[in-house]
Amino acid sequence: MPQDLPAAVARNLDLGHGHFLLEFFAPQAAAEMVPGQFFMIGIPGAEVLLRRPFSVCGLPGTFADAPEGSVQVLYKVVGRGTALLSSLRPGAPLTALGPLGRGFDLEVASGVRPLLVAGGIGSAPFPALAAGLAARGTRPALVYGARSAGDLPLLDWFRERCDAVTVATEDGSLGRRGLVTEPLEDLLAGAGATRIYGCGPSPMLRAVAAIARSRGIPCEVSLEAHMACGFGVCLGCVVATHAGGGGKPVYERVCVEGPVMPAERIAW
Amino acid sequence: MVTPDLSVAVGPLRLKNPVLTASGTFGYGLEFLPFLDLADLGGIVVKGLSPRPRRGNPPERIVETPAGMLNAIGLQNVGVDAFVAEKLPALRKHDVAVVANVFGETVAEYVEVCEKLDSAAGLSAIELNVSCPNVESGGMAFGSDPAALARVTRACRDATRLPLIVKLSPNVTDIRETARVAEAEGSDAVSLVNTYVGMAVDVDRRRPVLANVSGGLSGPAIRPLAVWATWQVSRAVKIPVIGMGGIMAARDALEFILAGATAVQVGTANFIHPDAAVGVARGLAAYLSEHGIGTVRELVGTLRTGREAER
Repeated sequence: MPQDLPAAVARNLDLGHGHFLLEFFAPQAAAEMVPGQFFMIGIPGAEVLLRRPFSVCGLPGTFADAPEGSVQVLYKVVGRGTALLSSLRPGAPLTALGPLGRGFDLEVASGVRPLLVAGGIGSAPFPALAAGLAARGTRPALVYGARSAGDLPLLDWFRERCDAVTVATEDGSLGRRGLVTEPLEDLLAGAGATRIYGCGPSPMLRAVAAIARSRGIPCEVSLEAHMACGFGVCLGCVVATHAGGGGKPVYERVCVEGPVMPAERIAW
Repeated sequence: MVTPDLSVAVGPLRLKNPVLTASGTFGYGLEFLPFLDLADLGGIVVKGLSPRPRRGNPPERIVETPAGMLNAIGLQNVGVDAFVAEKLPALRKHDVAVVANVFGETVAEYVEVCEKLDSAAGLSAIELNVSCPNVESGGMAFGSDPAALARVTRACRDATRLPLIVKLSPNVTDIRETARVAEAEGSDAVSLVNTYVGMAVDVDRRRPVLANVSGGLSGPAIRPLAVWATWQVSRAVKIPVIGMGGIMAARDALEFILAGATAVQVGTANFIHPDAAVGVARGLAAYLSEHGIGTVRELVGTLRTGREAER
């Protein structure tokens, strides 16, 4: 059951290149939440009106130095809301509504390798997912793409916790030059049974979903959308899906029916 | 201390307190059960209902703007039949007035929805949405044309015995004119304002932010405009006025009440704080206690202006 709780900034770590890891104390939510769920975070008294949605980045135990009962979210400064958030110091008040939405399906059959595909800040839900998978005895592999070497937050964390990390940058400043789709195709060519989890910009997710479909690989993606409420009433965050059966796509809410959806559900 | 009396009568509609939730910001009410007790509200106004389900507009549908937000949802809803069959039975269990917001593309469609709701148990009133700015036909097309507004109001009046509220558009030259039409054609009350038409531009992509190009502006940004509209309309008609526009807290609601609103609706605030409307109702009670006022009804339209205020 989501709760709307006052919280306070515990840490707001500057990871460089506009990336921050925000930590707040919310023990009940921390105990309930699953990877892929999110919080609507607000700053009391701020000039920003609406709260902003942030995926859960860390579950209890994801980050070794995180106190019990804390929640972490990874974000990039992209506008007024995130700029304001990045200016908050420990102790500053927040409101945190969550955990919200549908998370990742962590049931991976034995012998199936989970493969995470992240684009830039789209890696935000993956530490929690990797930790959740590890707790079930599987270390995932990661294909991590971004525009440039500075746009790969928590890369070192992933290198420690994932089976294999393949990096691709559009400018070639780290790893392979180009998009994630090329190394993804290469990896899948030699791989056995695989299950894909994707999060990143829409064009990337569309490409990843197409690759997964062409190879018959199950794929879940975590979607991002502008939201006013986060709990299903504003209908602002919709995505076109095939949930209505044949015929015309219907609009489903990213905040309730998502943010994680099976890739084949989405009307790309 | 005596508990202040918050009850009001909006024409034939009796409310335990003057705070309702605005259509389109409160889903079908049930989504809010994790966050509040519906019985603490005067009433809820559900998402606009059309004869058949509507899929709504493509995304992007919303964007935050200074002190407000633009939306162009396009009246996505489950349709009146699904509402009556699936949502209303669950809502009936709660001690709260349920107001159905009604939308059609033609007069016949408005009438069809009103008739279906009239025969459903558990509704307290109907609010006619003749002011949605985000649909191609119907909506604001009715609310901005006095002759069309007269036709749809009269037809719906004849289609239901439920208290009838016409929700007015502020996107008109003189909102008093449409308010008078609603009154003349048998509406029991008017609610105002629906959103103001606006747009936002993404200057990097050189495109409108919203797929619909324009959207409806809500939130604190429109509050002074909405208070002004409430003040004007409450002096132009004899039927009760329900005021809304950017109410975030009790003091905002009091602006509308003092300007002439018998009741208020809380909208955008529900998105930000799911229990915002309950907070407004509690704040009103606290204000009355603090000022030794026995009933909120004593405050309605008691704004003093000019020389009056100096006495």
